[in-house]
Amino acid sequence: MSPTSAKKTFVVTRFDPDVDEVPKTQSYEIPVQSDWKVLDALNYIKDEVDPTLSHRWSCRMAVCGSCGMMVDGEPKLTCKVALSDYGDVVEVEPLANFPIIRDLVVELEGFMERFKKVKPWIIRAKERAVEEGTFRQSPQELADFKQFSMCINCMLCYSACPVVGNEPHFLGPAAIALGHRYNLDTRDEGSAERNQVFLEEGGVFSCSYANECSEVCPKNVDPAAAVQQGKALSLVDWAKGLVLPRGGGE
Amino acid sequence: MKLVARIEPGIWALFGAGFMVGSLLLPAWIFVVWIAAPLGWVPAEALGYERAHALAAGPIGRLLLLALIVLPLWNGANHLRHWLIDLGGYARDGVMAPLLYASAAVFSVVAIAAVVRL
Repeated sequence: MSPTSAKKTFVVTRFDPDVDEVPKTQSYEIPVQSDWKVLDALNYIKDEVDPTLSHRWSCRMAVCGSCGMMVDGEPKLTCKVALSDYGDVVEVEPLANFPIIRDLVVELEGFMERFKKVKPWIIRAKERAVEEGTFRQSPQELADFKQFSMCINCMLCYSACPVVGNEPHFLGPAAIALGHRYNLDTRDEGSAERNQVFLEEGGVFSCSYANECSEVCPKNVDPAAAVQQGKALSLVDWAKGLVLPRGGGE
Repeated sequence: MKLVARIEPGIWALFGAGFMVGSLLLPAWIFVVWIAAPLGWVPAEALGYERAHALAAGPIGRLLLLALIVLPLWNGANHLRHWLIDLGGYARDGVMAPLLYASAAVFSVVAIAAVVRL
């Protein structure tokens, strides 16, 4: 065990929907250890100081994507950021751009619908029979989309994106990166369907190139690159739709 | 707004091309015409009126001039629109988007007319 190094004050958003009209803040001064992540401090508060504090977490190793919160105003995975990178007063708020359910817990329901919209599965014109054997994919073909498949749905990118805050229908960085991941997969034949979704209002062209999604991504997915590449690829389908009669694009 | 949404991919293509032109060609252009020429780093006769006019009026010259003038207009219009959305939301987009794109279109037509009549 590492020694207790100092005390830090945590200014945490509190919101009880049965009592509060608007969220308020509550301060907790607690002893912290030098090797703690921000999440360790929240767990300490919950276990030792105030059991009424609600926050989401699970794996503690940046895999499950549950513990995203605003730390000093920036969306972070609280299990990944070291407490030593912050000052004596640390502000912890629920992820921006999401409705609050309670304290640090946000509502993700509406956002999960957006992942479904991009059809995140392999679409085949004709299913391949088992006797025909497995799909072959070269290391290069895998490398083309692998980065975009590393998303853990932590929603930090939605919290950082200025367009998500402004445009209620925007698919958003993670959903577009997910759709793009399947568009790039050589086994997939569904890019025309997905590009139609990308071309709809709130699709890829609502993106304003702020690049904040990629800045905050804890898994280096680079959703901004997916969005820009998605623009270029769906642009081709859009141009085809101009030249060819409706339905001719197949 | 519906029209803007329908042509947005095309606008984005012009924006992207304008970004490239604006970042690569335009600085080179500004360097040669506004800095190197006045400072005498290029021979005075290289950009004399007769020679410059002949260069600009050739087919490649005309294409280059169009790219240098028209594409950055769409880059600017689209960037400014999204910048306004980021700062102020969609409240005024119904007015600003058509206004910005219409301005880019009008100045594009003026530029095309001017370049054709060179």
